[in-house]
Amino acid sequence: MLAIYKKELRSYFTSMIGYVFIAFFLVIIGIGILITNLKGTYANFEYTLSTISFIFVLLTPILTMKLMAEENKQKTDQLLLTSPLSAGAIVVGKFLAVFTVFLSAMAITCLYPLILSKYGEVPLLSAYSGIFGFIVLGAAYLAIGLYISSLTESQVVAAVISFILFLFTFLMRSLADAIPADNKTAFMIFIVIILFVCLILYRMMNNMTIAVSGGLLLVLGLFLTYMFKPTLLDGSVSKIADWLSVVARYDQFNYGIFDVTGIIYYISITFLFAFLTTQVIRKKRWS
Amino acid sequence: MIEVKNLVKRYGNHTAVDDLSFTVDRGQVLGFLGPNGAGKSTTMNIITGYISATEGTVTVNGVDVYDEPETVKKMIGYLPEQPPLYPDMTVREYLDFVADIKKVKKSKKLKMIGDVMEAAKITHMSERLIKHLSKGYKQRVGLAQAIMGYPEVIILDEPTVGLDPKQIIEIRDLIRELSNSHTVILSSHIMQEVSAVCDTVMIIDKGKLVLSDKPENLSARLGVTGLMKLTVKGDSETIISALNKIELITNIEEQPVTTEGIVNLNLFHEENDDIREAVFYAMCEAKTPILEMQTVRMSLEEIFLKVTNQDNTAELDPTEQPEAVPVEESKIEEEETSNVSDL
Repeated sequence: MLAIYKKELRSYFTSMIGYVFIAFFLVIIGIGILITNLKGTYANFEYTLSTISFIFVLLTPILTMKLMAEENKQKTDQLLLTSPLSAGAIVVGKFLAVFTVFLSAMAITCLYPLILSKYGEVPLLSAYSGIFGFIVLGAAYLAIGLYISSLTESQVVAAVISFILFLFTFLMRSLADAIPADNKTAFMIFIVIILFVCLILYRMMNNMTIAVSGGLLLVLGLFLTYMFKPTLLDGSVSKIADWLSVVARYDQFNYGIFDVTGIIYYISITFLFAFLTTQVIRKKRWS
Repeated sequence: MIEVKNLVKRYGNHTAVDDLSFTVDRGQVLGFLGPNGAGKSTTMNIITGYISATEGTVTVNGVDVYDEPETVKKMIGYLPEQPPLYPDMTVREYLDFVADIKKVKKSKKLKMIGDVMEAAKITHMSERLIKHLSKGYKQRVGLAQAIMGYPEVIILDEPTVGLDPKQIIEIRDLIRELSNSHTVILSSHIMQEVSAVCDTVMIIDKGKLVLSDKPENLSARLGVTGLMKLTVKGDSETIISALNKIELITNIEEQPVTTEGIVNLNLFHEENDDIREAVFYAMCEAKTPILEMQTVRMSLEEIFLKVTNQDNTAELDPTEQPEAVPVEESKIEEEETSNVSDL
């Protein structure tokens, strides 16, 4: 694990990616401070973090795209998978490396509230709770990026898919707000989602029976709910969208609240996607 | 040491490896021989635990690859078809990384990296970036990676691809050296390589084991006949009638005439018989001078082609066959002569 960690970390800093990421990150945070704290004359650093949370949509794909995709392409995965390393060790090593690059950018960011406090009263506690929230939010995005990278051989594909997915999680809430909350629309949307799920199921398992019967079962359940308890579907789409919207959880930190549920949510996502990545690696044996 | 039982690997409807069984003893060198897509790499990938078999078992030192992959992986060094290199690392950095993931002890690491580089003859390249190396050197770095940690079993998938003749001989010597203390499995579609270093040759075609024996026994097992090419000046009828008296010759084949008054013949005989003297005296008596005489030993290439083409020739259009044969022969000759210069 340590070997993988060292190798990945070194590759971030022998190529340009590590430096480019940190530089852009700091530039965007700098602009955020300029707009929010200096021009906007707010003393709260967490406001800045909240305005620039779109940073993850732009920058994390750059950081995570090569993590696994490059190994798949160069066939170096063959070296890793035929050496006495577990899939878990590979994933943890890689995740910690990319997380370290992100943390080194955040470490510099940690100085900013202190600098601001030189010039006036800054609520440091909420600022640092905001930074902490930002770090776990980043961890969640990095884990998702790592997972997507493991699915493909091409860095570009990994970057584009991560970007689209992150953008989607970012816009999810405004998207959900635009959708009517009545149960009829919800019913339609769920039908479409079920169709998608079936398609993915079929692609992954190559088994028509499972895909179709699973789909029919879901549609039946949905139909029964719609017939007998339609109120259950009221506003359900936006509820689900809210749940999927990774960034939305960060709002609490913006209000200066140290949101434990949010932190648990982010850490769960991190673990979930790290786990999924190990499964993708293990699955290679069976392809 | 390595025991493979009833190995089957299917990709959808395609069967890459079909009921393959064999054992390799400690210190043996086993050569996989087969055309492209015969299932050599797939078999190696299964033994190393990179992919899993659809059916069948592989045990190394009595440990099942499927049950305890990490234990088995510790015992195996593997050079895949495409050497798994990180282009942005220097050779030393790369080998340091490999030593780490193969869990080489810190105290031994530095010396081992030096030894391994020495063995693969890449010491003078140690500070170069791998992406700047030539294909031959990349292959050697891959080989150095495979022997890192001195695993009991070393598996090499086409180890000499992309190397020049001198390097090929060096790698062969290295493999021979390794076989003193390690079990080696290597694959190749080049016969000389296999016959030069292997104790046992397994010919695989379409995922099936066609033949498995010592290299020197292969020809006998197949009932291969000896062949002599003869160029004689004189009348073809007198020559053939004179040759017909020699009992050792089983068949005479007349080749098309290129120069007037000169006859080209192919004489077939039993593999172990020597007909050279008998032919010489027969031609003397007939007063037809021999211009050229050449005994052609059926090389592994021919055995290989014969074995792997058996199904194909049956399917081929009979009219196409005579055309195909001379091409193969000329190729074989070329390779034989190159073989001689190699050695």
